[in-house]
Amino acid sequence: MRARDNPFSVERVHAIRFRPQGATFPGLMTRLKTLNYRAAVVGRDGSGKTTFLEDLQRALIEDNIKTRMVFVNDTSPLSDPACRRLLSELTRDELVLLDGADLIPRSAWSLLKRHTITHAYGLVITSHRPGLLPTLIECTTNPSLLRDIVRELQPPDRCIPVESLDTLFQRHQGNIRVCLRELYDLYARS
Amino acid sequence: MEKLKILVHGDKAAFAPRETIRGAVEWNLDANPRRLDLSLFWYTSGKGTRDVGMVHSTQFDNPGASGSKEFSFTLPEGPFSFSGRLISLIWAIELTCSPGSETTRREIIVSPTGKEILLGSVPTQSPFPWGRKEAGPDSPEDILRVGP
Repeated sequence: MRARDNPFSVERVHAIRFRPQGATFPGLMTRLKTLNYRAAVVGRDGSGKTTFLEDLQRALIEDNIKTRMVFVNDTSPLSDPACRRLLSELTRDELVLLDGADLIPRSAWSLLKRHTITHAYGLVITSHRPGLLPTLIECTTNPSLLRDIVRELQPPDRCIPVESLDTLFQRHQGNIRVCLRELYDLYARS
Repeated sequence: MEKLKILVHGDKAAFAPRETIRGAVEWNLDANPRRLDLSLFWYTSGKGTRDVGMVHSTQFDNPGASGSKEFSFTLPEGPFSFSGRLISLIWAIELTCSPGSETTRREIIVSPTGKEILLGSVPTQSPFPWGRKEAGPDSPEDILRVGP
């Protein structure tokens, strides 16, 4: 199958937005306000943290709140100098959305956490573990979520059996992103 | 009637590198847009992060609620339109209206052969002599079955 026709291509997968499990988006927005816009999105790899953060950014912009998204991962770390530069550019009306807070050095995190109390509108982070900031939401996955997402993406004439999806979910310990990548490969081979 | 339309002379869909694309855009909108943007670009689609290359863009300021304009773009040497299993490179002409979300896109092929180049597959070879050669019961091949 040509990449452009693959139902699990990145752009098609990215079109699937975050689905809060046991919560509602307006409810989360209210809770974020209650937390004074300082909160953490917690969850394992492939549980939707980044997707939620992107959706949150959209919702904040709609509420006329300025945002600054910072992505941190193994290939783009946030060093102390980079963190200082970021903070020097930050304005008080900006809300920092930091994806991967638990991947930055402890010194940079301390600086960022302290500085944004008085010099930013807020700070929302994603992290694999709780404790860095009050938890706004713990992202979780379940086999039913994977089934729903796959149902939306897969072509109706080439459905993947539910049992196979459940097996896939178990094999990747609930990491939906990896499951969808594997499904891409499956269709690519066909 | 479509609100935005891209017409290519002769309804041509495939072009050679360095060839000139000639056509016209037509619009029929509910309100006066501030601007219309016409772009020629390529983008990738597939497993990885999307890559985009903007080649030409032109804008029509205060074009009125309806009208038409001719355009011509000369294509560069490449990249060629191609598709493999991991990535496809797609050329397109896009017309967008601002403010608003109206947009229309017309895909084209850029290739010396006049067709999208299809990348062949490379036989899988395990770098490890002890690697599994046959698909196992938990293999992807086993999972992907046509459903009822």
